[in-house]
Amino acid sequence: MLGDVTISAIGRGTLFAWRELGGITILAGQVLRALLPPRLDGPELFRNLYRMGNRSLPIIALTAFFVGGIMVIQAGVLVKQLNAAGLVGWGAGYAIFREVGPMLIALMFSGRVGSNNTAELATMTVTEQLDGLRALAIDPIPYLVVPRVIAMTVSLLCLVVLGNLIALYGGAFFAMFLLDLEFSTLYYSLVDNIGWLDFVHGAIKAAVFGSAIAMTSCYFGISVRGGAVGVGKAVNAAVVAAAISIVTLDFLLTAVLP
Amino acid sequence: MTSSATPSSLIEFRDVHKAFGAKRILQGLTMEVGRQEVFFIIGTSGVGKSVTIKHLIGLLRVDQGEIHFDGERIDNLSEKHFYPVRKRIGMVFQHATLFDSMSLRENVALPLRKHQGLGTKEALAKSDELLERVHMGNFAHSSPATLSDGMKKRAAIARTLAMEPQVVLFDEPTTGLDPVNARRIDRLIRELSDDLGVTSIVVSHDLPSIFGIADRITFIYQGKAYKSGTRQDFEQSGDPIVRQFISGNSHGPMETPGF
Amino acid sequence: MSVHTRIEGLGARAIAASHAGARLFVIGAKSLRGVFDRDYPKGEVARQMYVVGNKSLLFIAITMGFLGMVMVIQSGHQLNRVTGDLSQLGPQFLKLFIQEFAPTITALMLSTRVGAGIAAEVGSMKVTEQIDALRLSGITPTSYLIAPRLLACLSMGSILTVIAIVIAFTAGGISAWSVFGLNPTAFFDSSMVRTYDIVIGSVKALSYSLAIPIISGFCGLEARGGSEGVGTATTSAVIGSSFAVLLLDFMISGIGLMVFGGGV
Repeated sequence: MLGDVTISAIGRGTLFAWRELGGITILAGQVLRALLPPRLDGPELFRNLYRMGNRSLPIIALTAFFVGGIMVIQAGVLVKQLNAAGLVGWGAGYAIFREVGPMLIALMFSGRVGSNNTAELATMTVTEQLDGLRALAIDPIPYLVVPRVIAMTVSLLCLVVLGNLIALYGGAFFAMFLLDLEFSTLYYSLVDNIGWLDFVHGAIKAAVFGSAIAMTSCYFGISVRGGAVGVGKAVNAAVVAAAISIVTLDFLLTAVLP
Repeated sequence: MTSSATPSSLIEFRDVHKAFGAKRILQGLTMEVGRQEVFFIIGTSGVGKSVTIKHLIGLLRVDQGEIHFDGERIDNLSEKHFYPVRKRIGMVFQHATLFDSMSLRENVALPLRKHQGLGTKEALAKSDELLERVHMGNFAHSSPATLSDGMKKRAAIARTLAMEPQVVLFDEPTTGLDPVNARRIDRLIRELSDDLGVTSIVVSHDLPSIFGIADRITFIYQGKAYKSGTRQDFEQSGDPIVRQFISGNSHGPMETPGF
Repeated sequence: MSVHTRIEGLGARAIAASHAGARLFVIGAKSLRGVFDRDYPKGEVARQMYVVGNKSLLFIAITMGFLGMVMVIQSGHQLNRVTGDLSQLGPQFLKLFIQEFAPTITALMLSTRVGAGIAAEVGSMKVTEQIDALRLSGITPTSYLIAPRLLACLSMGSILTVIAIVIAFTAGGISAWSVFGLNPTAFFDSSMVRTYDIVIGSVKALSYSLAIPIISGFCGLEARGGSEGVGTATTSAVIGSSFAVLLLDFMISGIGLMVFGGGV
């Protein structure tokens, strides 16, 4: 009995997931078509870029600072075990550039900007503002969705590049403070072992995560149903979908990228 | 009134059916709207008046039947091909649907920028003019959230006029407004038709509005055009269902869901 | 003038933030007391446990599975480059997941899934004045609403963390075997795990499970003004609990390193 319920729940969940995945894919196709040739609203793009970057900068900076600290503490355990202070800069830098920086900053970005975006689009949808746009012969995809996708991709890319730097400085700060390491030890450990490839690897991930967050948050925003309760559900569904996309894409990109 | 298309008719619904799931709303609606008329679609709530006009700009699609606009069939157009039609048919929604993130003049400037090829400055200047025409000039810089419903509706009319449409659809333009503001909206609709040659289709159950400005009226009942005619035709009608509606009597032969 | 008003603005924001912090503290303390008052409907804890566990299980399984694979692949490549010795990959992976990644990533996922849900639910009740109705009938919203969610998060948070470790370790082992041809017996080796790791991991999981429902409930109770208010509450619950998780992670790891020398 309970087994049946669980199985049918999983079945329903799977069907639901496929439907949403299909919807997101269709939206992605529409966005790509609107980009060739680019048809998008300049003022709307700059408004979103400013808002999204500006709104999330403080929380991302704080997150990055502490993430740097966490990485160094983890590395510090290894240092004490193996007595290998020369590896801290390398280990923390490698982890921050390739994995932890892009992923954690993307998760925070999704919580801050993605969920806000879903709430805004969902409110517009339930109050018929999207139909209002169509009635003005303005296609909501190039006007509303495309600028947001570009803005989120660009701003997450910038935030990750900036956040990585802050994380490294945060890491250096805590390494000097907690592990009594010299700045120069950390610096040479980093620059001797970390190459451009590690940086590019993380930057590509950031851009892909940014567009994934944008697609999921826009999709759940414009396909919302059922008033104010629907808006809350849409936000919840969007952040969950964004988290799943981030982790699965991270896996795929790790396998594909050098 | 003839049943075939006359050269003067601009919009024509032919045997239109529309259902939402098991709920059948339109069940063979046929009607014609003439050029530069103020045309009213009336009926009780939930009878499908708003549903009817949303078909004209492709927000809803017919299940069966045809819709013609200016000699062209539009019910089978793709979403992409509907955009040219939407430039010619504007719509003022029941809840105005102004964009919250913009001031009134930015709202009105949006279609100007998008369709008339104006730069931001020119578009804003022109939008001030349009807001002046609907007597909202003093509120050009206000955000929609701070305005009353009547003001929002007038701003929404200005935004629709920015498209320079041939036809404007009004979804319950006077519902929820006090009588003074309602008559102001009525006067605006009449002026559009008389001064600018716009054809207006108004969805309403507001009797003073109907008998104040309508050129012709279609009364929708049970998914069909139960009666079409001029104001005088309706005032003089002896049909018991029409009489019940225009007298606002709760008792009578009319069957409404839930009663 | 502008500098002056800016400083004033900053000051006002600082005061508002410290007031909010005080309210958060009060709500946290009241919710904890509510746990002992048992002033909530019978079976509510079980229902919330089902909501928390059921809603998050598949989600956490997917994310932790992929994360386990990614971590193994990344660190395996790096180890191959430097030493070519992968024998420590599995044991170190397990150690790191027990005391760091499993509790923290699970909690970050719970913040998005469960935290947002609590804030949306409590926030909707707040803006529709149901919270006021509760107060009028002599019921404390913190004991009635937040306490059962707190208990549910505490129990399910720990269980989900254990599940997360198992899934990530298994997925990591499979990918170490398929990508690097590493023998599973070499990977599935728990010899590096010390009591210290388990204690730190448990302390983290429990602190996160306390913070998420309290912060999310607080955001819900602070909601104001219609559907937009609910949206804002949901958003701040996600970001607030995620940030709290990272901050707690940093603090607990830091204390562990400073006081216990990282368990070495």
